[in-house]
Amino acid sequence: MFELTDQPIDSAALRARLERPEAGACVVFEGWVRNHHGGRPVTQLDYEAFDELARIEGDAITAEAEEAHPGCTVLCVHRTGSLAIGELAVWIGVASPHRHGAFLACRQVIEEIKRRLPVWKKEHHPGNIAEWVNCTTESTAGRLSPGNYYERQASLPEVGASGQAALAAASVLVVGIGGLGCPAALYLATSGVGRLTLVDAGRVEVSNLHRQILFTADDVGAAKVSVAAARLRMHNPLVQVEARDADVTPGNVLALVAGRTAVLDCTDNFATRFLLHDACRQAGVPLVQAAVYRFEGELNLFEPGAQGCLHCLWSGRKPAQLETAPNCSGGPVFAPAVGVLGIMQAAEALKLILRLTDPIDFKQTRLINLLDASSYGIERPADPACPVCGLAQQTETPGDAAPPPRSESSDDFPLILQPQDIAALGPVQMIALLEAGEALDAATAPAGAIAVPMVDLIRIRELAGKGPAILACRRGLRSAALARLLRIEGVGRVYALAGGLGAIRIGVISA
Amino acid sequence: MADSTRQVQVKFFAVLREQAGVSTLDCATAARTPAELYRELQAGRGLQFPADLLRVAINERYATMETPLSTGDRVVFIPPVAGG
Repeated sequence: MFELTDQPIDSAALRARLERPEAGACVVFEGWVRNHHGGRPVTQLDYEAFDELARIEGDAITAEAEEAHPGCTVLCVHRTGSLAIGELAVWIGVASPHRHGAFLACRQVIEEIKRRLPVWKKEHHPGNIAEWVNCTTESTAGRLSPGNYYERQASLPEVGASGQAALAAASVLVVGIGGLGCPAALYLATSGVGRLTLVDAGRVEVSNLHRQILFTADDVGAAKVSVAAARLRMHNPLVQVEARDADVTPGNVLALVAGRTAVLDCTDNFATRFLLHDACRQAGVPLVQAAVYRFEGELNLFEPGAQGCLHCLWSGRKPAQLETAPNCSGGPVFAPAVGVLGIMQAAEALKLILRLTDPIDFKQTRLINLLDASSYGIERPADPACPVCGLAQQTETPGDAAPPPRSESSDDFPLILQPQDIAALGPVQMIALLEAGEALDAATAPAGAIAVPMVDLIRIRELAGKGPAILACRRGLRSAALARLLRIEGVGRVYALAGGLGAIRIGVISA
Repeated sequence: MADSTRQVQVKFFAVLREQAGVSTLDCATAARTPAELYRELQAGRGLQFPADLLRVAINERYATMETPLSTGDRVVFIPPVAGG
């Protein structure tokens, strides 16, 4: 609840209004009129409010804090009129079952008030000098200015003053403020993307903390976007950060995406991925998408209007079918993997704005493996008959496209198959994945193994789709990434050989 | 032409009120957006505050400088705030 008053604030009376039996904590912030500012003596402050809007905004600010920090009751009173030194200008009290939420909600309210409540103050200095705070260039800039904040970045020849201006004029949407979205948004903010919108309906959970690096242990239970937006504003007060405590839905996706310079998909589910992808195509906005599985991740850059889209990549499968595949959602995940991929998403978005993108990056899926620090590009398929991006574009709704025949479901064997378990699979096709310039050693190759270049995803798909198949590469790392991709695509019985072809050659198994 | 001008009320606060010399101004304007209206006011009322530092509210709601204006709108240009 928010109030404006031209009368002195009685803090004891306000505190009494917050008393309630379920409250175990009350955090109070009082803003006082002090006798100096910016090294100059101050004799008096005059507060002026745009009354009607201030009441609406004030109520919104306190309601948002209560929403973001469940259980908290917020009361805020702001003064107007002439105030003498030592007088109370603003009073914020938060009663809560627990202290953490009360501290966070209180901080959120004062920061939002300073940011958006339409209240102005005029500072009086000795000698009949008075000026409106924040309305002179000097005090607006404060200690930070684009000139000093971005100094070490704008001096890159690839950025320069014009690049920095392009970043300031950019508007980027970040969907999903989790392991990917936290680092992505942080780097976008500190790099000077002028307008950032964060979308996520989640609350901070304890199990998020090991990888969602904008959140601290004290934030558990709070709305992710509120906490993240507050942190980003602290990191860089020069950029605008907007928090949307909501899910992306078919009803709001176009409005969220339209007019953006780029969209970052940092979500962990296929339904949202397709929704964002299709909306970005429709709105003509480039999309930077990432997904992580344990120690590995993949990065896709989609250019609106180009061939080789998300539907080509998944060959018309519906999100609901893909949802059953192993992915990062709820599963084990190596924190640096989401960190690296999230920062790579930020890098790709910044490069898009700065026109530094290598055109080939629009056409490939980049696989990143933190176990061997490898990065590997696979050309994305471009289906000429794709109903979304194909040459013969049809009017059919992409999500309703008929899926290809389903493979049988996966059995109890794990994705990474130990050599000693091969026999238990029964008849199985071994696929040796070869790198460019590599040949299969006929003397040591497993009997019946088919050698396929690693980049020939179509051939690998075809072979693996026929029945149980084991992918084997040199050391077993890239085969795991490909096997996972195929499983996500719905190929049921595909495995990656632990240790790779090397494990066979040194006689771990007899072929 | 009746449909090329609209009647709006502009309210000024803080530094803008001092520069405009009035709190409220009823005006008939050809401006289609707050951005155009502010340019008119800069010329007509001597407002010196830079437009790129302003936000705007229409009918007591934050809006954008490009929101279309209609007759009867209450427009407030909002200089950088300093609550707390």
